[in-house]
Amino acid sequence: MSALTFSLKQELIQKLDVSPITPDKLSDKNIGEISATLLWYGKQQLRADNFFLISGLDTQNIVFDNCSAKVDYIGNGMKTGRIIVNGNAGAFLAFQLQKGEVTLNGNAADFAACAMAGGLLLVNGNVGDYLGGALVGDRKGMRGGTVIVKGNAGERTGDQMRRGLILIEGNVGSYCGSRMLAGTIGVLGDVDDYIGYGMKRGTLLLTKTPKLHATIQDCGTHTLPFLSLMFKSFRNLPSKFSKINQNRVQRFAGDVGNDGKGEILVLQ
Amino acid sequence: MLIKLSGGRVYDPAHQIDGKVLDIYIRDGRIVSRPRDDETIDQTYNLSGKVVMAGAIDMHTHIGGGKVNIARMMLPEDHRADPSHHSALCRSGCGHAAPSTFTTGYRYAEMGYTAAFEPALSPVNARQSHLEMGDTPIIDKGGYAMIGSDDFFLRMLAAKKDQNAINDYVAWIMHASQAIGIKVVNPGGINAFKFNQRALDLDEQNVHYQVTPREVLKALSRAVHELGVPHPLHVHGNNLGVPGNMETTLKTMGASEGYPLHLTHIQFHSYGTEGDRKFSSGAAAIAEALNKNKNISADVGQILFNQTVTASGDNMRQFANSTLGSPRKSVIMDIECDSGCGVVPFKYKDQNFVNALQWAIGLEIFLLTDDPWRIFLTTDHPNGAPFTSYPHLIKLLMDRTFRNEMFAKLNLDAQAMSTLASIDREYSLYDIAIMTRAGAAKLVGLHDRGHLGVGAGADITVYTDNADREKMFAKPDYVFKDGELVVKDGHVVKVTWGHTHTVKPDFDKAIEKDIKQYFDKYHTMNMENFKVSNDEIAEGGRGGIAVQACEGRREKSL
Ligand SMILES: [Zn+2]
Repeated sequence: MSALTFSLKQELIQKLDVSPITPDKLSDKNIGEISATLLWYGKQQLRADNFFLISGLDTQNIVFDNCSAKVDYIGNGMKTGRIIVNGNAGAFLAFQLQKGEVTLNGNAADFAACAMAGGLLLVNGNVGDYLGGALVGDRKGMRGGTVIVKGNAGERTGDQMRRGLILIEGNVGSYCGSRMLAGTIGVLGDVDDYIGYGMKRGTLLLTKTPKLHATIQDCGTHTLPFLSLMFKSFRNLPSKFSKINQNRVQRFAGDVGNDGKGEILVLQ
Repeated sequence: MLIKLSGGRVYDPAHQIDGKVLDIYIRDGRIVSRPRDDETIDQTYNLSGKVVMAGAIDMHTHIGGGKVNIARMMLPEDHRADPSHHSALCRSGCGHAAPSTFTTGYRYAEMGYTAAFEPALSPVNARQSHLEMGDTPIIDKGGYAMIGSDDFFLRMLAAKKDQNAINDYVAWIMHASQAIGIKVVNPGGINAFKFNQRALDLDEQNVHYQVTPREVLKALSRAVHELGVPHPLHVHGNNLGVPGNMETTLKTMGASEGYPLHLTHIQFHSYGTEGDRKFSSGAAAIAEALNKNKNISADVGQILFNQTVTASGDNMRQFANSTLGSPRKSVIMDIECDSGCGVVPFKYKDQNFVNALQWAIGLEIFLLTDDPWRIFLTTDHPNGAPFTSYPHLIKLLMDRTFRNEMFAKLNLDAQAMSTLASIDREYSLYDIAIMTRAGAAKLVGLHDRGHLGVGAGADITVYTDNADREKMFAKPDYVFKDGELVVKDGHVVKVTWGHTHTVKPDFDKAIEKDIKQYFDKYHTMNMENFKVSNDEIAEGGRGGIAVQACEGRREKSL
């Protein structure tokens, strides 16, 4: 059965909310019903076939083709199946994702993996600010699952993150891991200023010593056996992190301004 | 435009009309007497079989001002979970416990309410409050200026200033903040909190000013009375929520030495310390005292089970309660020289012993207080429950069987501690019309509202009689605001802008010299900027000021 494909017909002027297009929400629908799905476009609700050429039958495998940064909430609250996005994605990609996989072949805007609870988000490109963050006003960010970014991530990556794993192969903007509560963020490239700002607990894994602000404390060099276990758990992930096997790190603790139980580990 | 409301069953307690079939005529927004036979009636509504009352008045509801806005900001989950989409007429909005301003106005009107009063308008924040109320459509509104913990007033008391000077200051505050009443919250206690006192009883001194809550109450209740302000001093007493606080409340009733007092959300102040859990109902004693002391009125502040948010000027008690919040977050704030506030989200649960008993205590007070002219229907929105639960509360009061069914579902230990099931009283439609219309208008000092007599503003609500009172009061057939049909079948059909009711008592302008000096020395703003003008309130066609009559200054009463 071929994947259910939504090919964007024209350039969008307003933001388009595609929350209703997920494998679980469309699982028992026929093509007529799927075409008639109402989507918020700016302040009006219009049928899905106004925006997309819709083809294919397999609702458990959804593909967005020719996608754009105006398409928000791809994979919203998804519980099963798989979504592949070719092109760019708008804000709130994989918002509250619970299970299943979302793959983006392009760049995502802000708030990717916002309030994500489980599943896998794979981005073959860059993401904007607040990757894995909390819904605005909420006190807890991403709660579980795995995010892999092949390119760069913006500012406030993992803001208020509560649990789960974010692995970034490129660079990350400032305030990485800010107000983090728990969970793990790995970065192979560079990080900008104020990494771990207001971090309470959690782990930041780096390959180069970053510029640190005053309330992050150097705790010396250690051999941490748990790292071997952690890297072993990365073996099957589609990421360069799966190749790392090292447990000697320089450890920094912080942010002392907010409990200070978080750690920044720099691989030696 | 002459409108006839024909043949409805009218409940107008201000004129002792209890369910009589009458015609009502409206011209230019006012109720008029029967026109001459040769005058043409432009529009007739056939209301035969319908129940007709004046528009309802909520005399204590937190709908505008700093702490409501903090509650809104603090509760994105409340807003996300309860969106209301825009329509051709109405703007979008959201929020169950702390709805946005426009939504507040629509929802009140759709329930047959045509006026609502913000009881804790902090004078330094009056502009913000009025701007929010200015964004609240359809209903009339107004505010009670909250003083009694403000530095200027406490200095006056500490310096044993003459009562006339205090009266002048109180009147100045009412003018400056465009208020219709004066409220005191935890008298002197908001200020005492700033000097690290964590409790303050009626006769306990503020460590900094050496004044007691009793002195605050006496000076302010007397000032309000002597200025001729119709609404008595509006009192949120000391020790809110503390087991055993009924003693404080009973003493507070005597603290004004005969001057009128209105004790607000009295349910939260009617707790005893009996039983294994040292928490019991003080409703019987409180209701008995209310029955006896004719200078005292009260509103209940009923709690109903669900998620809500508590927002109060009482930083002292909110700080103490902040660990009980759900979801667990809170804001406790110091507001300049004037006041403070605390916002704590709260979820009342029927299986929680304390919450269940609070529910029963509120209803006991309603049912044991004899005079419906002196007890008012409130949930202290949003503190006990959002105002949208009023129809449910009315059903609890009017339908004993329903009440007892709900009671039987409560936490069993709480049931054992309450006498509610043994109370047979059921409120009548006439009683409800007193509590929510005639009595409320009289208490607030709205001379042309809350009744259906000739000359009154044509704020009128029409219901279909229904044995299920919750259904009946949730969805009126028609609501008229100043003679215009604004709600039909429970939905807004026209958006208008209500008045802001105020009083403007006379005072000696010389007091401004002292106040200006004080502002120049201590305040973050200039005295002139502190004052909210009439024009600001009328700006953008958003209603305007309606000045209600003051009874005139009374020198040395009692
Ligand atoms: Zn209140």
